[in-house]
Amino acid sequence: MTAVAQPLPAARRPKRMTPARWGLYAFIFITALYFLLPLYVMVVTSLKPMAEIRQGNLLALPIAPSIEAWVKAWTSACTGLTCQGIKIGFLNSLRILVPSVAISILVGSLTGYALSLWRVRGANILFGAMMVVAFIPYQLFIYPLVRVFSFTGLGQSLLTIVMIHTIFGLPTMTLLFRNYFASLPVELFKAARVDGAGFYQIYARIMMPMATPMIVVAVILQTTGIWNDFILGLVFAGRDNLPMTVQLNNIVNSTQGERAYNVDMAATLLTALLPLAVYFGSGRWFVRGIAAGAVKG
Amino acid sequence: MRLSLTSRFSAISALLPALLVMLVVYIGATSWTVWMSLTNSRMLPNNNFVGLRQYETLLGNDRWITSVHNIVIYGVLFVSFALLIGFLLAVAIDQRVRAEDTIRSIFLYPYSMSFVVTGLVWQWLLNPTLGIQHVLRSWGFENATFDWIVRPETAIYCLVIAGVWQASGLVMAIMLAGLRGVDEEIWKAARVDGLPKWRVYMSIIIPMMGASFATAAVLLSTGVVRLYDLSVSMTNGGPGIASEVPAKFVMDHLFERANIGLATAAATTMLITVIAVVAPYLYWRARKGEMR
Amino acid sequence: MKRALFASVAVIATAWVSVPVSAEEMKAEVIHWWTSGGEAAAVKVFADQFTKAGGTWIDSAVAGAANARNAAISRTVAGNPPTAMQLNTGKQFDELVEGDLLADVDAVAAEGNWNGVMPAAFVAAATRNGKMFAVPINIHGQNWLWYNKSVLVSVGAAEPKTWDDAFAVLDKLKADGKVIPLAFSGQKVWERNLFSAVLIGVGGGPMWVGIMGKRDAALAQSAEFKAVALAYKKLKAYVDAGAPGRNWNDATNLVIQGKAGMQIMGDWAKGEFVAAGKVPEKDYGCTVLSNHGGGYMMGGDVFVFPKTKDASTTKAQVTLARLMLKPETQIQFSLKKGSIPVRSDVDASQLDACAQKGMQYVSNTAQQLPSADMLAPPALIGALEDAISQYWNTNMGADEFSAKVAGVLKAQY
Repeated sequence: MTAVAQPLPAARRPKRMTPARWGLYAFIFITALYFLLPLYVMVVTSLKPMAEIRQGNLLALPIAPSIEAWVKAWTSACTGLTCQGIKIGFLNSLRILVPSVAISILVGSLTGYALSLWRVRGANILFGAMMVVAFIPYQLFIYPLVRVFSFTGLGQSLLTIVMIHTIFGLPTMTLLFRNYFASLPVELFKAARVDGAGFYQIYARIMMPMATPMIVVAVILQTTGIWNDFILGLVFAGRDNLPMTVQLNNIVNSTQGERAYNVDMAATLLTALLPLAVYFGSGRWFVRGIAAGAVKG
Repeated sequence: MRLSLTSRFSAISALLPALLVMLVVYIGATSWTVWMSLTNSRMLPNNNFVGLRQYETLLGNDRWITSVHNIVIYGVLFVSFALLIGFLLAVAIDQRVRAEDTIRSIFLYPYSMSFVVTGLVWQWLLNPTLGIQHVLRSWGFENATFDWIVRPETAIYCLVIAGVWQASGLVMAIMLAGLRGVDEEIWKAARVDGLPKWRVYMSIIIPMMGASFATAAVLLSTGVVRLYDLSVSMTNGGPGIASEVPAKFVMDHLFERANIGLATAAATTMLITVIAVVAPYLYWRARKGEMR
Repeated sequence: MKRALFASVAVIATAWVSVPVSAEEMKAEVIHWWTSGGEAAAVKVFADQFTKAGGTWIDSAVAGAANARNAAISRTVAGNPPTAMQLNTGKQFDELVEGDLLADVDAVAAEGNWNGVMPAAFVAAATRNGKMFAVPINIHGQNWLWYNKSVLVSVGAAEPKTWDDAFAVLDKLKADGKVIPLAFSGQKVWERNLFSAVLIGVGGGPMWVGIMGKRDAALAQSAEFKAVALAYKKLKAYVDAGAPGRNWNDATNLVIQGKAGMQIMGDWAKGEFVAAGKVPEKDYGCTVLSNHGGGYMMGGDVFVFPKTKDASTTKAQVTLARLMLKPETQIQFSLKKGSIPVRSDVDASQLDACAQKGMQYVSNTAQQLPSADMLAPPALIGALEDAISQYWNTNMGADEFSAKVAGVLKAQY
């Protein structure tokens, strides 16, 4: 953690702009264009009336900008017989997101903690198997999981989708926390043991408070992953809890009539707003958290 | 260290959810998948054993062959470019540039966008009659041609462009974290020796950052094997079957084509490949860990 | 942690006790993929009728047929099925019947004499083991030619009747150079649809049934089939560079705006013309191309009803099945959807010129050809689709293509 607070080692900011500095800024500028282009196109398109979009210059600024498309996407765009925009999905997505993020981090950190600091027989095998799972396309598990959940009587519900996100977040979360806890000085742990602290006490009182940067990284990763999920929500959430991405798909992929590109783009941006805010708001924390230990091990 | 009975019990209880998930979900679902690949299941699973027939069909299937071919191209290019661009960006930002926070956010934001959104926008930008080519021509560059996405030979590279756009920021963050961990003394020593900066990066810094590169490469690779949404939303595998990928093969056959047998055979093949690559890596890491 | 475990056990336990629905209340949760303007208006016809009959319609629309089927079938298998779900007329529900997951609608069918008023192919497509398990609700013609009248007039061309005519018109349009001769949407499913239209129009009905229905591999290697393949590939010369990946309705809009001459598409394309305020046989024309005197590729949609033990759900299912086939519902639905009624005994005069043409085609049994969905399981269709798409998009020759098709037909799907 402290490493980040240190003065930046690579160079001191020179007082004058040398040719090398010009080159550096040029590189950053050009790359930034490549990164910003899609966002620019989305924003600009969402603000144009359809007549302007039909004229077809993707990069042109809107002549008569209007937020009509945004209003429509939020309140009145149709998906099937319901024409209430994507606002209903927003709340559903939140209701899925909050418990899923909390529980997946709780389970993941606990698993990582047990695997890193406690010698449990077979821990390596469990961890190795999880690593393998991280590579498997999760679509494969959908069908068997449907059967498992119907067998347990849970079927499709909020609880199901929260459990599903916890299950699929487990490998990454475990990996993050295991590596972080492994990088902490062992003496800390040993001292606590000598003081007679138990397994859960050490976890709750010592380890988790020290893991704040890692928790930030975990929250960011899980928030984006869960918020952007489409197929799991569709299959497991049940019809009363369908997330925003399902409605976005209904709006964007409807086929009849002229495509309202401005509404599509506005709906897309609205859906991406929360993860975008998380990233723009916490970019600094993200790097700090990764610096704090995700890399090691 | 010896554990008291209660502590051991606690540790095991903490691992219980993970263990349960492992057994029921991963092992259970995986064995189910492998078993299904040996049956002739179509829309619903059945237990009619047909041996390795699905695998025979799979190996003779053009689309599967193309998918495997594509994922190799995509994997190599995507991982190398994302690592390269991510590293260069991290180095650039590490030169004490102005507005560092803003610049970092610009490079990081695509990672927050879902692949569906990424695919949609890039499909638009790359379409010759709507996107960049059209804009360039309307600006007077009559002969400007950028039609990769509609050509079977080049469509897969379009997926790379969008994939790199999405993931480079994450690499940048990891690399930046690594660079910030480099000891100040190294830079001082290099300055005293009069070494040019690029030499310091090439021969000292990069070798020191092995862990950062490994972490980034592993994260990127998981994304490669799972590549699905991007292919669906950008090209839907086309033109023809030119940009099909294995995960999409599995999904299409599992649901739309109601061919569970073939889908699970493809999935099992993917699984075996992953284990074959990941297991030695894990073993090597475990050995290294013990020696430490 | 332990407390959390207990809590989740408690939640699981309460979830077992599902809330019973009172017997008077008739609710129908319907999963379908009709999310766009005209489609939603069409499904509203059913919803309104059901409400009028005293029920509550719960609409579960999921865009994309594969997504909707995925959701519906997962839920049916999981034992938490919707009241009704949409599928395409054909073999998509074979295994649901085999798995004893669907309720039959035989009683309603007998009461309404569906046998007497529906094309035999549709009755057969809905029947398994002698019982009807699905309600066919419409007939979609899938191999229509749509063309812009003024564009054709501008090059001095009349409505083509055969594929030879069509190629002559396409040549004129190409020589003229002002518009895209053939509007095309380069996605696998439309590449296959175009191929099917050529197979029926150039190869003829018996060849269509021979390939798709009888899986005649020898036929796929005949000179006649190769002629079909060549005609299909020849069409590529009339397509523009932006075609790959384009949506079908964007292609239709090219025809509407006069930027393209013609398009081969199912009759759902009519909805686009209607939405743009165009009048059939005045602004645009519709016909089915054939070198053999005709062949109307008929597909459509069905609703199936998952089995249930709940009496009120059964009542809702029977009510739905009954009202979907009522003559007035059929007319209203067809007007919105662009398809034609599945019953031949309805008053066609309210339908537009193109729909009436369609009714005429269907009234002649010699013209009726079942769609691919009715003849072959999804796995086989998918494999053929890959071969067709590859042939269209690469420089593969007709010989190699027909060998590939023969290979697919011989494989066990």
